[in-house]
Amino acid sequence: MSTNPPLRRQAGFAVVGVLALALAACGGSGSSSKDGKDPIKIGTSLPLTGEFSQPGKAAEQGYKVWQAVVNDGGGLLGRKVELVIKDDASNQNTIVTDYNALISRDKVDLLVGSYSSLLNLPASAVAERNRKLYVEPAGGSPKMFNRGFKYLFYSQQGTADRQGIVFADWVASLPAAQRPKTAAYPTLDDPFAAPSVDAIRAILEKAGVKTVYKQTYAIDTKNLDTIASAVKAADPELLVHGASFDDGVSLVRSLLKSGFKPKWLYQTTAPSLGDQYAKAIGAANTEGILFAVSHDPAAKTPGNPAFVAKYKEMYGGNPPEDAADAYAAGEVLGAAVKGVGSIDDQAKLADWLRKSAVDTVLGNLSWNANGSPKGEFLIGQWQGGKVNIVLPKDVATAEIVQGWKPGGAS
Amino acid sequence: MSELVQSIVLGLLLGGVYALAAAGLTLIFGVMRIINIAHGAFLVVGSFISYTLWNTFGIDPFLGVLITTPVVFALGWLTYKVAVDPIRNAPMASTVLLTFGLALVLEALMGYVWGNDSMSTRPSYADASYSVGGLFIPKAQLYGGVVAVVVLLALGALLTRTWLGRAIRAAAINPTGAELVGIKVGSVASLVFAIGIGVAGAGGAITGVLYPFVPGSHYQWIARLLAIVVLGGMGSLNGAVLAAVLFGLTETITATYISPSWATAVPYAVVFLVLLLRPQGLLGTRSREDTVMA
Repeated sequence: MSTNPPLRRQAGFAVVGVLALALAACGGSGSSSKDGKDPIKIGTSLPLTGEFSQPGKAAEQGYKVWQAVVNDGGGLLGRKVELVIKDDASNQNTIVTDYNALISRDKVDLLVGSYSSLLNLPASAVAERNRKLYVEPAGGSPKMFNRGFKYLFYSQQGTADRQGIVFADWVASLPAAQRPKTAAYPTLDDPFAAPSVDAIRAILEKAGVKTVYKQTYAIDTKNLDTIASAVKAADPELLVHGASFDDGVSLVRSLLKSGFKPKWLYQTTAPSLGDQYAKAIGAANTEGILFAVSHDPAAKTPGNPAFVAKYKEMYGGNPPEDAADAYAAGEVLGAAVKGVGSIDDQAKLADWLRKSAVDTVLGNLSWNANGSPKGEFLIGQWQGGKVNIVLPKDVATAEIVQGWKPGGAS
Repeated sequence: MSELVQSIVLGLLLGGVYALAAAGLTLIFGVMRIINIAHGAFLVVGSFISYTLWNTFGIDPFLGVLITTPVVFALGWLTYKVAVDPIRNAPMASTVLLTFGLALVLEALMGYVWGNDSMSTRPSYADASYSVGGLFIPKAQLYGGVVAVVVLLALGALLTRTWLGRAIRAAAINPTGAELVGIKVGSVASLVFAIGIGVAGAGGAITGVLYPFVPGSHYQWIARLLAIVVLGGMGSLNGAVLAAVLFGLTETITATYISPSWATAVPYAVVFLVLLLRPQGLLGTRSREDTVMA
């Protein structure tokens, strides 16, 4: 007859429990307990599949180029950088799961952000709840920064509502005879595009540019022929289109089909996707299209030639804007880590960024207390089949060419 | 008035493309009772194949339908044999899960083969229009509509004027009875699945000219196509065509007279209202559920 089996079983469980706790303590205490030789693990979840897969892939490339450049230079704090990248499939629920897993299961040391305001909204909340620094390469909706977050930083020049300010101010400053009299504003219902267009409209209306068309369309709108038809009926001199990529392409093609050519065409986001945009609407039809952009491959910003060269080596061609934005997010994170000299206290990293300015491939970045950046975007224009920076004038690589000339400059 | 006519013209052209895209989905459901969530993904496969034929060999995408359709048909047949056939008689939830998984696999394969960059098939007439009495009629939409009508008529003829079509309809109406008169329902099912997918491939060749696409574009398509098939009456080809045209018209007229922001929502509201009045859809038939199998 056994003496006391339940008691013996309980003792066994206790031993197993103590061992498990000890193992967890060894394996899960983060980087601070390590010998400093292990790589610094940096986690992100990107839309590598699904609707945002195109910019998501570009962002992945940007992060990988940054990883290569940093590791070629000896790493961060003498440790190699190791990226842990998950695919959120462009889904808000998946990205929440991914960032939770990065923190609790993969036990990454640091985080960087995803693409789009739509995905960064929930992902940054996970980071904030876990008191993790969250430097995002995209996600400039003003809604991102009115939540009182302490660990969120946006590594482009400005939030969405600042994106077109330089362009709008320039239009408003034109002599009355040259200034467009009327404008139309079809806009994707998107947390980035809508605020950008609203801010431009406010400035232009104040400057006396009459709004003749203002409509928002849903994100799953595939056919923009009807909108082009309505814009044609309104006959604006300036068309400001709040777009992502596919709808940006579709509206231009619908305008061409409708036979309507506004004197000026400004689009958010789509024209900054370089060759893809030119192929999608036809290179000759890009002539004169204006847009806001965060990065210029030809810019002499700190580290930019090295970034462009490494990107060409790894992927070929000039880096797309989204790759440069991700690279800049890595630079911002790296600067904070070097500035503090440690990765143990993420609050210190955030405090350091709030007080500092960081040189990046996008230029010098600095932040408000809420993590929103203080700078201004560049304004690009398609000229002769390539993009030139035309505003602000102190960094411009070319003068603005008047008007949109589909079919070519002739 | 011209605004209304323009909206109707654009809506009819849009509906024609929707009809072709949805035809295969309703055909597969009609015969096999499978809700093919991967249908949108096969459509995008058709777009990519058509793009490759145009970009690499200079084959016009609408003429290329003659190549795209059989290639996607073969892909559909293979998919059926490998993945669908083993669970054809499983509960509907299983086939929904399976085809959803298939959609994800296809998306990943497309990303691997063609990459995730957005693509547009742009033959010379892609952005040109005919001008008729102040209206514009986009050439690509018009040609796409013509191809859609031709493919749908061919599909209709196949179903109504051939022995295969009779076998398909017999298998759809009464599979047990069809087996009794010597129709191999399993073989018919594999053919129907492949035909349905092939028609989706033809639709993809057309939509690839009209709209930019990436591997993930299938999510946007499947939602629309399911709504169209339900509105038309699940399994009814004529119903799907009617619903697709109604869907296209509702989209364009809503965008013109209410707001573009409602253009994608109002058609779904129409689906909701129609189903309240006719739960079987516009041309669907209500099945009797008061019979007991012996």
